[in-house]
Amino acid sequence: MGNKQTVFTHEQLEAYQDCTFFTRKEIMRLFYRYKDLAPQLVPLDYTSYPDVKVPYELIGSMPELKDNPFRQRIAQVFSEDGDGHMTLDNFLDMFSVMSEMAPRDLKAYYAFKIYDFNNDDYICVWDLEQTVTKLTRGELSAEEVSLVCEKVLDEADGDHDGRLSLEDFQNMILRAPDFLR
Amino acid sequence: MSAYSNNAYEEDPDYPDYYGSQNHTRGYLKTQDYPDSLGPLNNSEDPNTRSNPYSADSRTSPDYPGSLAEPDYPGSWSDPYYPGTRSNPYSARSRSPDNPKSLAEPDYIGSWSNPYHPGSSREPDYSESQRNPDFAGSKGSGNYAGSRTNPDYLDSLGEPDYAGAQGNSNHSGSRANSNHPDSRRNPEYAGSRISPYIDTLGEPDYPDAENQSNSPNFFGEPDYPGAEDYGNSTKFWGEPDYPGAENGHDYGASENPEMTREMLSRASSIQPSFHREGDSPLGILGRQDGDYPESIEMKSREMANPYSPSVPGAPGNGYVNPAYVGDNGLSQAYGDPPLSGHDWHKSPQGQKLIASLIPMTSRDRIKAIRNQPRTMEEKRNLRKMVDKEKSKQPRRILELNGCAQCLNSISLAYRRSKNSLLELFNSISLWQKTLKVIGGKFGTSVLSYFNFLRWLLKFNIFLFIVTFSFIIIPQLTMAEKNRLRFTGLEFLTGAGYFGNTVMYYGFYTNTTIRHGSSGTSYNMQLAYIFTVGVCFSVCFFSLLFSMARYFRNNFINPHVYSRGIAKLIFCWDFTVTHESAVKLKQKNLSTEIRENLSEIRQENVKLTLNQRLIRFSAHLAAWVVSTGAAIACCIAVYYLAENNSEFLKNHENPGAVLLLPFVVSCINLVVPRFYSMFRLVERYEMPRHEVYILLIRNICLKLSIIGILCYYWLNIVALAGEECWETLIGQEIYRLLLMDFVFSLADSFLGEFLRRIIGMRLITSLGLQEFDIARNVLELIYAQTLVWIGTFFCPLLPFIQMITLFIMFYVKNISLMMNFQPLSKAWRASQMMTFFIFLLFFPSFTGVLCTLAITIWRLKPSADCGPFRGLPFFIQSIYSWIDTLSKRPSYLWVVWIYQNLVGSVHFFFILTLIVLIITYLYWQITEGRKIMIRMLHEQIINEGKDKMFLIEKLIKLQDTEKRASPTLFMPERRDVEQSGPLRVREHDAARDLRFRRSVQEDNPKA
Repeated sequence: MGNKQTVFTHEQLEAYQDCTFFTRKEIMRLFYRYKDLAPQLVPLDYTSYPDVKVPYELIGSMPELKDNPFRQRIAQVFSEDGDGHMTLDNFLDMFSVMSEMAPRDLKAYYAFKIYDFNNDDYICVWDLEQTVTKLTRGELSAEEVSLVCEKVLDEADGDHDGRLSLEDFQNMILRAPDFLR
Repeated sequence: MSAYSNNAYEEDPDYPDYYGSQNHTRGYLKTQDYPDSLGPLNNSEDPNTRSNPYSADSRTSPDYPGSLAEPDYPGSWSDPYYPGTRSNPYSARSRSPDNPKSLAEPDYIGSWSNPYHPGSSREPDYSESQRNPDFAGSKGSGNYAGSRTNPDYLDSLGEPDYAGAQGNSNHSGSRANSNHPDSRRNPEYAGSRISPYIDTLGEPDYPDAENQSNSPNFFGEPDYPGAEDYGNSTKFWGEPDYPGAENGHDYGASENPEMTREMLSRASSIQPSFHREGDSPLGILGRQDGDYPESIEMKSREMANPYSPSVPGAPGNGYVNPAYVGDNGLSQAYGDPPLSGHDWHKSPQGQKLIASLIPMTSRDRIKAIRNQPRTMEEKRNLRKMVDKEKSKQPRRILELNGCAQCLNSISLAYRRSKNSLLELFNSISLWQKTLKVIGGKFGTSVLSYFNFLRWLLKFNIFLFIVTFSFIIIPQLTMAEKNRLRFTGLEFLTGAGYFGNTVMYYGFYTNTTIRHGSSGTSYNMQLAYIFTVGVCFSVCFFSLLFSMARYFRNNFINPHVYSRGIAKLIFCWDFTVTHESAVKLKQKNLSTEIRENLSEIRQENVKLTLNQRLIRFSAHLAAWVVSTGAAIACCIAVYYLAENNSEFLKNHENPGAVLLLPFVVSCINLVVPRFYSMFRLVERYEMPRHEVYILLIRNICLKLSIIGILCYYWLNIVALAGEECWETLIGQEIYRLLLMDFVFSLADSFLGEFLRRIIGMRLITSLGLQEFDIARNVLELIYAQTLVWIGTFFCPLLPFIQMITLFIMFYVKNISLMMNFQPLSKAWRASQMMTFFIFLLFFPSFTGVLCTLAITIWRLKPSADCGPFRGLPFFIQSIYSWIDTLSKRPSYLWVVWIYQNLVGSVHFFFILTLIVLIITYLYWQITEGRKIMIRMLHEQIINEGKDKMFLIEKLIKLQDTEKRASPTLFMPERRDVEQSGPLRVREHDAARDLRFRRSVQEDNPKA
């Protein structure tokens, strides 16, 4: 517990440690990564909780997200106001959820939000179409996409209301633990 | 409650006409909308702007003769307390329900009831009846909270600090707890859900998250007030939950004849508590007490109210209003994210969560906080609140005993040290970065191979540490000088120089090691057998537990009915970050989806008898050939091994001993590839079947070869009367292991490299190869089996395996990066991991145990070497130890344990019986659970149907209402357009109806 860093107070770091799945070192490392995204924006002193947001363009260009077809959704889900611009807190949140240590329930919750493109708390047909298109880079024909969506609903829609609720989604994920590793 | 009171007014016969109530509704809607529109602009801490639009609006709306809001607001505005209430943080969330709520809660502050009364004087009886239960409620809460709470209560109303509300949190928490099952169950009952989380997880905080995620909806669209905002409410209405719950209420309040009385009262009693969820903590305090009287009252009113059936439109409107109002309140509270960040923990859910977190241990608490799906700020606040509460509590305890602080600081220190320890572990954790890169490029499935490798490495490190510290170090302390010459070839053969080192069994002494005259002695015999025993039991249990854990995680579902297309869609591997890998993966995914679709399309096309016969015969032939090959290999190995000794006698070259391992490794290299070619003939429909069958065949081959070798060692080598046969076996195993390693290296460097050259340059149609996880994992399992068998004969074997695994990791990593492309099929990696560990446990480890048991109990140790020299059996060392112990009275308990537990047949008989009974019971429980799961699944479907039924009912009602009063609607057309929820609801109901139809169409299939 050296006093090398002055970016956060001791309490802040403790709070971060308790609220994420990271150790102190990892939090610092993530902070420096965050800072490196926008060195001129992010101050080196976070003890007074500065209100800084790194724009989505920079977040999305990180190697972890750069090639992810869902990068925009991920950034939107984790950013406070849904536009993809992230504060340090959001940033840490994102990495915490994405880390290996995060439990599957938590990941499932956020994955659901990521797949829920129109934020209506259900994965509806439209969301599914978006997902499929993103996944396959539009290589499937419209007919195939709609067939896929239909099949997915067939499989996973527990209460037959024509769309996937969070329970449906979680149920499916519990059944197939390969997701979200 | 708020909703219902409003509602009640709509239906109330005292209104002069229906229009009045209509307008009233609309007026309400308007007043509700204003704060919403302002919400995002100015924050809650502005009482003036807040109350202004309220009063202004309620004044400008002229047709409000019976509006309670009017007298209420000005009154409360002029009231000195009122601005305080407004600026109170809690009011931020109860802002819009405030309006009706203030009607319903006349008793909170005395001065309020005055402006209230004129408004309610129109229906004096009603307001009375309503006030009474409420009053009782507030009284009850006062009693409950004790005398201290009451001032607090008012405090929090009058002053912007929420310390008072905070102080109440325990009460509210416990209340909310008792209350919640109700509100949770009820919406279900009504055929809907408040939020998905509530049902499934039962976690108290999720409804909030639900609402929170709602909020972008309301927020995303800028215009709240006026007709435009109905676009917003569309979405809201699109969700059946709220309407569902409202439905129950609606019908309950009006005239649904199909529903039973119980259902009615239930539905109406959900209503208030349900709406209170969005309220301030104050709301909760009164909630519990308010619930029951209300529901009773509701019933009585509904019986006494003859009007509602005759005015079919009224329930609809009345129902729109509260729902809309209430939900606006919610959405507003969560709509402002920073606001929700600050205030979330003050909501009932937050309070409840805090209350539930407080009694936890710090570790559990941190875990629970971490697992909250909320933003960092909320989590941090939550943590702060909990810590505050926590620090409040121990202070009380502290007065009783000073230990608490001590414990606290100890736990804090422990936490800190654990954190730093964790950091240390993380920093030494092997290959973290490499694994990340592999995962990024090849996805989880290939990663699982490397994880398995790492897991095995850890296993071997453990084995090595145990054997090293308990067998090898003691032996080293009394080792003699090795006089044999070291040539270098020994690295391959393991013979010669190594034969006289701690590496092999034969080198160990059977004496008791004594150092000095202190009397501490170390019996090598016992150390040897106990160390091996401990090693294997630890292996056994760790394998068993990890296997059980994997099983529990991965085979939860008893009915797998999906084809897995949903999995394909949602199984995007977020670990993959490499650009080309992502592109390739996307491409693969689309082909796989296409394949899957074509399979689905072809599903109905039945194979003809002829085709089926051909396929069946192909499978049969493949099985015959593969088993034949395995048997042939086994026979070849057996004869080779049998004739090996004669062969060795004829050849003086020390390298000749390598023949057998060479042949075995060749078989292991060639035959699995031969098996892989069967896929061309067999053509399994499911790729998973193919993988499993390949695995089964390979494991059969490898383990039967090992089995044959074990048979040869135990039945021929051990009985041949050679000098020190244990060392010979150890050497053979060493050679096998080493040869296997060399072959793997060569395969990686040459085979896979050549394959790449061929695929890239010569036959480009082949392309790059894919990493064969199954074959590679089986190689690991094979090597590990050898290590286990060999540990008894060659205690250093885990160390050697450690090194080979370490090298293998890098070799495989390099080869993977150079020669392979990501897999084209989506692999069920985690299930595969379970399967791998199962394979490692079942044929491999159990086989090793059998071999060892035979060795120890049945075989005669060689007479001149090793720790057991001169004994008739290995186990004899234990027997004699027990004998010596039985002469010493202080160790009699060991003897007793041995005689009655370890050595007793009866004990094992009873133990087996108990285990069998427990297993049977668990099996029955599992069966019961399966049935339950099936029934719950059916229930889910039925509830979906219920929901649809209610919605359909609603639509019918609406239709009749429209038909009954088209003329009534005409003059108010403009207003109707403004009060869009009506229209929106129709629209959504129609959409839901469509869903229902599709469900009905689907159901016969299901």
